[in-house]
Amino acid sequence: MSYDKPLPVKNPDTAAFWEGCRQHELRFEQCGQCGYIRWPPAMLCPRCHSRQAERIVSGGRGTVFTYVVYRETPHPAFRGDLPYVVALVELEEGPRLLTNIVGCLPEQVRCDMPVVVAWEDVAEEVSLPKFRPAF
Amino acid sequence: MLDAGLCNYVLVSYGHNGRSSDSFLRMMADMGGDDQVFGHFGAASCYALAARRAMHTFRTGPETWKHIAVGQRKWANLNPRAMFQRQPMSLDDYYNSRMTVEPFRLFDNCLISDGGRAYIVTSAERARDLRHPPVLIMGTGQHNPASDLQTADFMTGSTGAKKAAERAFAVAGIGLGDIDACEIYDCFTYTVEITLQDYGFFGPGEGEEWFKGGTIEPGGRMPVNTSGGLLSEAYFMGLTPLTEAVMQLMGRCGERQLGPQTNTRTPQIILCSDNGGILQTHACHILRRA
Repeated sequence: MSYDKPLPVKNPDTAAFWEGCRQHELRFEQCGQCGYIRWPPAMLCPRCHSRQAERIVSGGRGTVFTYVVYRETPHPAFRGDLPYVVALVELEEGPRLLTNIVGCLPEQVRCDMPVVVAWEDVAEEVSLPKFRPAF
Repeated sequence: MLDAGLCNYVLVSYGHNGRSSDSFLRMMADMGGDDQVFGHFGAASCYALAARRAMHTFRTGPETWKHIAVGQRKWANLNPRAMFQRQPMSLDDYYNSRMTVEPFRLFDNCLISDGGRAYIVTSAERARDLRHPPVLIMGTGQHNPASDLQTADFMTGSTGAKKAAERAFAVAGIGLGDIDACEIYDCFTYTVEITLQDYGFFGPGEGEEWFKGGTIEPGGRMPVNTSGGLLSEAYFMGLTPLTEAVMQLMGRCGERQLGPQTNTRTPQIILCSDNGGILQTHACHILRRA
């Protein structure tokens, strides 16, 4: 069955991130001057306004900063997933990603719970970084 | 603009057919960007993320929020303009309302409404001989810690409410003890809690104690959202709380009028809030009877 959920819409800021996901890599830009990791992506460093940047790849480990459990959803394609968990995961490197927690029941999710990336290949050229509990 | 003589009257208005059309829900869906990829839509779910982190950071949750939802509904039941005028809410009704995006239940969410509100600002001098008693702006403050949700460290406080209120109170030259009632932007129950907490009415996690026993209800010691608010009257953005404060200070609120008939203090000074984004912008206004 074809994938009927929304897909990422790449723009000049986010293209590198989604391109990385396709390779199962969480790529971020780290400021070449002050070391701040720019997420959401930005042309200038929001801390020091430098344009210099170097690519880093996250190890894919982090903790659940916060989460919600969808008991209803406005989008028909997600109805079969109910109840599902949307979370902000704080990666060890610092950035917080909006994502889903998979591989456990919604009732088992907690703030500060350790998680690890679980790639989901949803289309030929699109992979989504979801997260599952790290045991 | 009034002080500079650039204009004599400023009309601030809001109108929307949000309920009878799908425009409000469409606007919310369009805001999502790539968040939609993960099934994340709208403002309620973003505020729910903030509320969940707050539950982890200090003592809060439905036990606190129920007092806000139920208390405001009691005011709505006295308001002929309220969408929920005829529908009382018990604590059981609150708990029995369906889960939408946990930790929020249906009754933690504001309404979507058809209608509008407007107010006019002019100089105190011009207002003196108008038909209705004028209401004066004592102080106002804004603080906008705007950033993306991913970098928001303010979702469990301090939100912009703290600094906005500090400025408004400094301009007004008064303190919290001078406030007779509050009209707080209440897109969700949690928004009321975090705003009053950042304003200094209680410390983090002390909300449940502060709200319980009818504090914000008719007869309570600090009435809050006396029209029913966005939760139980109608959603007209920041104009729901602000216009209610003005009408209360003018003494034009009928059955829900603050004073002897609702067993509350006759208001001299009312504290108002507005907030935007996901707790990303905040305005605080202190109004008084002329």
